[in-house]
Amino acid sequence: MEFIDFLKTSFNTLMANKTRSFLTTLGIVIGISSVIVMVSIGSGAQKLIVNRISAMGSNTIFIEPGAFDPKKSSMTQTAIEEAEVKTLKYSDALAISKLPGVEMVAPWVMGVETVVYQDKNKRVTFIGTTPENQKIDGTSPILGRGLEDGDVKSMDRVVLLGYKVSKDLFGDENPIGKTLRIKNINFKVIGVLEEKGGGAFMNPDDYIYLPLTTAQKLLLGIDYVRVIVVKAESEQVIDSLVQEMREILRQRHHIFNPENDLTKDDFKITTQVEATEMLSSVLSVLTLFLSSVAAIALVVGGIGIMNIMFVSVTERTKEIGLRKAVGARKKDILIQFLVEAVVLTFLGGIGGIILGAGVSFLAGLILGHLLNQPWVFVLSVKAIIIAVSISVGTGLVFGIYPAYKAANLSPIQALRYE
Amino acid sequence: MNSNFIIEAQNLKKIYGQGEAKTFALNGVSFKVKQGEFLSIMGPSGCGKSTLMHIIGFLDYPTSGTYKFEGKSPNELTDSEISEIRNKKIGFIFQFFNLLPRTTVLENVKLPLVYTKLSNKEKQKRALQALEAVGMSHRLKFYPNQLSGGEQQRVAIARAIVNQPKVILADEPTGNLDSKSGQKVMEILQKLNEQGQTIILVTHEKYTSEMAERIIYLKDGRIIGEERVHQRKFAKDGLVK
Repeated sequence: MEFIDFLKTSFNTLMANKTRSFLTTLGIVIGISSVIVMVSIGSGAQKLIVNRISAMGSNTIFIEPGAFDPKKSSMTQTAIEEAEVKTLKYSDALAISKLPGVEMVAPWVMGVETVVYQDKNKRVTFIGTTPENQKIDGTSPILGRGLEDGDVKSMDRVVLLGYKVSKDLFGDENPIGKTLRIKNINFKVIGVLEEKGGGAFMNPDDYIYLPLTTAQKLLLGIDYVRVIVVKAESEQVIDSLVQEMREILRQRHHIFNPENDLTKDDFKITTQVEATEMLSSVLSVLTLFLSSVAAIALVVGGIGIMNIMFVSVTERTKEIGLRKAVGARKKDILIQFLVEAVVLTFLGGIGGIILGAGVSFLAGLILGHLLNQPWVFVLSVKAIIIAVSISVGTGLVFGIYPAYKAANLSPIQALRYE
Repeated sequence: MNSNFIIEAQNLKKIYGQGEAKTFALNGVSFKVKQGEFLSIMGPSGCGKSTLMHIIGFLDYPTSGTYKFEGKSPNELTDSEISEIRNKKIGFIFQFFNLLPRTTVLENVKLPLVYTKLSNKEKQKRALQALEAVGMSHRLKFYPNQLSGGEQQRVAIARAIVNQPKVILADEPTGNLDSKSGQKVMEILQKLNEQGQTIILVTHEKYTSEMAERIIYLKDGRIIGEERVHQRKFAKDGLVK
């Protein structure tokens, strides 16, 4: 029997039971489309975050306090758990800024406070930093001015607002020169930053920026910094620069560490590339997890296929007997039923891809709108190939047993079957 | 191998069940069939006719004894060799037609050809020839449920002869038909036999059995008699029932 005959026979049988075939296929459609949607949204989120991070420049280096711990690699974890490590100082940042190959250095402190303007208030993340930060960040004020060296030196009570903070507190009013209160201290608004749009995790439009010294002394009461952001002149110098920074920090912190054992240091250095890789890998795991959950739907669909194939074998016992009587080999019967199962799942796979692509596209539009960010609609060829192979594989796996049963029916038993 | 005999059966036994429940569907059946012969196997229901027919048609195996078709015995063959014999050497006609529903007359006739390596053109040609031979060429696109019983059986005959088999096995081919349709079916079988086709017919009707050249009488799994038909009936002469 030629393959085209097998296909024709399968189509005829499937068309003879349209509703049944459709409902059976629906299981596969749902399974495949869930997997596609999960993978697509996962990759979209990954692209978004990676884009945001690399927008800061690929030659950015972060220095955080606290020893390197191979078990914990997340930046955010450090910020929360080891916030009280006080070893990193503004003077460290100044020392690093003098190293060759360093373009800019911006130390950070941050916290969360309520900002009050007249009868309105808003809880915001504040960042105390130096004027260099905006150059690294690539944001510039649309109103007023940015932070200046003088602000930091004289610990001025001035504040630079993220776009959204300004909108929420001042509406259409011009905030420049107005006075805000944070922790009962008056701050003068000097500028508003342009709208950046942000991801789900961090949105610079929701931040306010203060001079580093002001934030340290007046709001936090500390003399250390949380992060030092360093921008290297080029990607090529990053490796040697990291090593030089380690040495100068060890020297300044009186750490004797000639073996270059990172766990002995009281600081750790992460490059932009590492940070991106880390976040990507977290998202990959998340995507994989969500896809696996979706794959369960596929297995359920496969069981539906198996069930319907058993019904089909029983229903067509007589046909199988007849086919055997006129010369069908076991192999012919086996292939016929397998092809039928695979045609069902293959069609289900195609339907699933179309539905999945549609849903992912819509979800992308909605997410893009919610996050106020251009969402990259990702429908990877890999995901499609995997989806189709999985659906065909489902057909083979769940079709083989019913097909085997059909192939081994005794022809006379089958012919007698009523 | 004696080329005169296409079928040689020696002491065939078919036993179902074991111990107390042991029953002999066939209990020592021996006979031979010549190329081109028209043989009837006659007997009451439960005499083992159908079992014998299944063994002749390679659908079943004897428990003991030897069965040879063109010198080949089913226990010496692989599954696909057996399938090939069913496909190319034997044409089955059943009492209840066994046409595939939702499949046109033409496609039904082509069914055995599906398992051959013939070209599509050749398949089409053979199917049309077979339908021509049974006078059903005007019903190519019909479905079985649109045909009368007699017409369905004629399509089934076309399917049986489409692969130009050595032997046609007809199991009560008129058993489910009115006498007129039955007569037409027998007329076709006799015509095929005239053209040299070997036919083995199973029936319980004396009149139908006398349309063959030779009759084997079967009862309780044994051959109880055998005769050459002296006054052979011909279906084309009309009804003498």
